[in-house]
Amino acid sequence: MLVLLLALALGVTLGLLTNISVPADMLTYLGVSVLAAIDACLGGVKASLEHTFDDKVFVSGFLTNTLMAAFIVFVGDRIGVRELYLAAVVAFGLRVFDNLGTVRQLLFARWGWE
Amino acid sequence: MTNVLSRPALVAVVGVLGFLVAVSFNTTQRFAEARPERATDLVDVVRDLEEQRSELQDRLEELRAEMDSLERDAADDSGVRESYSRELAVARQAAGMSGLLGPGVEVVLGDGSEVAAGTDPNDYLIHDTDIAAVVNALFIGGAEAIDINGERVVATTPIRCAGTTILVNNARLGSPYTIRAIGDPHALEQAILGDPVASLLFTTYKTQFGLQASVKQAEEQTVAPYRGSFRPQFVTSAQEGGS
Repeated sequence: MLVLLLALALGVTLGLLTNISVPADMLTYLGVSVLAAIDACLGGVKASLEHTFDDKVFVSGFLTNTLMAAFIVFVGDRIGVRELYLAAVVAFGLRVFDNLGTVRQLLFARWGWE
Repeated sequence: MTNVLSRPALVAVVGVLGFLVAVSFNTTQRFAEARPERATDLVDVVRDLEEQRSELQDRLEELRAEMDSLERDAADDSGVRESYSRELAVARQAAGMSGLLGPGVEVVLGDGSEVAAGTDPNDYLIHDTDIAAVVNALFIGGAEAIDINGERVVATTPIRCAGTTILVNNARLGSPYTIRAIGDPHALEQAILGDPVASLLFTTYKTQFGLQASVKQAEEQTVAPYRGSFRPQFVTSAQEGGS
């Protein structure tokens, strides 16, 4: 747990220090990729707690999900239906809350609060 | 528990998440900085500079008046300089540096008042091109001096659109526009009404869009002197030693 928090803090610090920002028309991509990363992290935590974590599955899942999301945003931009990115947002959002619930229960089981 | 969660891949993606969040933060921060405050800042800067410019313009006029009187004194002192002084007066008049008096026309152009539904509001405004067309027509009609709302048209005068105003000699003018020209009143009026572009303002556009547009002959009227500065950066006299 501590290692994950440290990694998060390191990422934030790195981002703030380099002070990178994106142009306005790329904001949707950034938003979707943040969601994809949150989804992947929670999914990873869940799999770890269930002892089914697999590096290959995890990394490939993260990459393909992110790429697909970016592709959906891109297509939406191109065909003039900018709201298409909502499909990715809803999909990731549902999974995030789904995984969050499972992680919570697994943690309770671990800490013996049941 | 630490062991279970310490997968390198998971740790790496969590780091990426942190990084992305920081980038989002940077971006929104930048937009917050870039938006309205900056615009008001720029408006303030423009206003300050305009104020400064009008002060400097007053000072310039003062100095020119002083120079005039000094030149006159000098001419009085020695008869030798009299011809030089006369030549200078002619040159100044040609350059538009002196206020002038004479017969001519007064053209008034103003924006239309009501925009009919479903039409282009731009049709109801006087544009820089309209002013330019009238000025050009006046010169064709032999105008010897022209000013627009007190801004003298000289050799370097631009007439251009700047948002809702029209820039003439870097002065922002608003509707209505009064263009005064000195010349043969009849010839000037004919030149405007006979010009294929300028005449539209007084016929089609006037009736269709309700623009103000009138030409009035005048027996005597004034045209303002040029109040701006000359700051040549590139020119030198083509004549040897002719300064």
